[in-house]
Amino acid sequence: MDKVKVNMFVNGKPVSLEVKPYARLLDVLREDLGLTGTKEGCGVGECGACTVIVDGETVNTCLTLAASMDGKHITTIEGLMENEKLHPIQEAFIKHNALQCGFCTPGLIMSAKALLDSNPNPSTEQIKVAISGNLCRCTGYEQVVDAIKEVAEKSK
Amino acid sequence: MMRFNYFRPASVKEACKLLNQHQSEAKVIAGGTDLMVQVRDEDKKLAGMKTVIDVSHINELRYIQEEGNVIRIGAIVTHDQIFRSPILKSAAPLLPEACNTVGSPQIRHRGTIGGSICNASPAADPVPALVALNAEVKLESVRGERVVPMVDIFEKPYKTNIGADELLTEISFKRLSDASKTAFIKLGRRKALAIARMNVAVVLELDDQGIVTEARIAPGSVLPRPGRVSEAEEVLIGQKPTAELIELASKKVSAVMIERSGVRWSTPYKEPVIAVLTRRALNQALGVE
Repeated sequence: MDKVKVNMFVNGKPVSLEVKPYARLLDVLREDLGLTGTKEGCGVGECGACTVIVDGETVNTCLTLAASMDGKHITTIEGLMENEKLHPIQEAFIKHNALQCGFCTPGLIMSAKALLDSNPNPSTEQIKVAISGNLCRCTGYEQVVDAIKEVAEKSK
Repeated sequence: MMRFNYFRPASVKEACKLLNQHQSEAKVIAGGTDLMVQVRDEDKKLAGMKTVIDVSHINELRYIQEEGNVIRIGAIVTHDQIFRSPILKSAAPLLPEACNTVGSPQIRHRGTIGGSICNASPAADPVPALVALNAEVKLESVRGERVVPMVDIFEKPYKTNIGADELLTEISFKRLSDASKTAFIKLGRRKALAIARMNVAVVLELDDQGIVTEARIAPGSVLPRPGRVSEAEEVLIGQKPTAELIELASKKVSAVMIERSGVRWSTPYKEPVIAVLTRRALNQALGVE
């Protein structure tokens, strides 16, 4: 099986890699690039723990072939901090206790970021739709919605 | 773990050449939201697969356009792009509605209309809407191209008669008239991330007197092959759609389900429920309730 050359941008930096033709984006992020913030939950696109942003849209990296990412801009949870400071969404999740075990959190935060990037002033319903592809089994969603709402309010 | 080779053609021509070379050893991948699940499960549907051909970079297949009164959608347009299309919102509102019920935002950002058809899942949400739109599909290969009614490509669940060397490149249908009334209803176990237990798409046209001149009823997940239920449509055509007739047409859908699919373990549940869903869809289209 010939490896496939992929040139992509990960968290703003150009990355050039040779990937296995059957490698998932999830595997390449975690194993080749050491970005283990992106989690594997179900592996079949049902839980959203592996969510990242590709060209402005959330995707499940467990269902995405790394080879198909040529030319794409990818943002992972590791790309949110700036100058050693947490992103406002991360701060709000902590403040609102929007996590317990934390396994779903990177995915939820990426869904929240994609939403707020495209719609800085979402309704509660729009927030719920934006995180509808992310399952949380311990905290629930109220605190998550509150955290996202607060970030939106503050940006006004 | 399944291993396979990977090709990323930049044009339809190149993709057709690759399909011709690899024939049944190749599978086409676009968004991957169905295929990658089958890869993980080592699904027997993929037996003999040695190569995937990634069509997601073929930009000539990414369009939604209108020519005359015909709407054309390139095969790699995503569910989310269909949901956001102003053209489709006015030309065929039930299609964006159906596409917006697929999986989750993440799935809708990657999953494509062409992939949804080719995967041939009986529970696909866009398919009943496309059936009710009398959609056609264009299949291209090195041998040439053919355009066929979409319903003709389905053989059985997860099986189409698309040739091993053919690529589905376009979905087309006529814009609905301004007088058309439509609805799409999905019943899932949850509001999001749920595969349809059943779904139904309807298109109705009424004349000035309120008489039904056209009725298209396409239920999903209840028939062995996607299609319209003409037996139910005939109940309404030429009539005013009274509550009694709507009830009768809805029950016809249940009866036809049993006729075409036989009595299965799920029948005691599906028989009353598909009738109720059909009734609700017809009422919703008519603006009743």
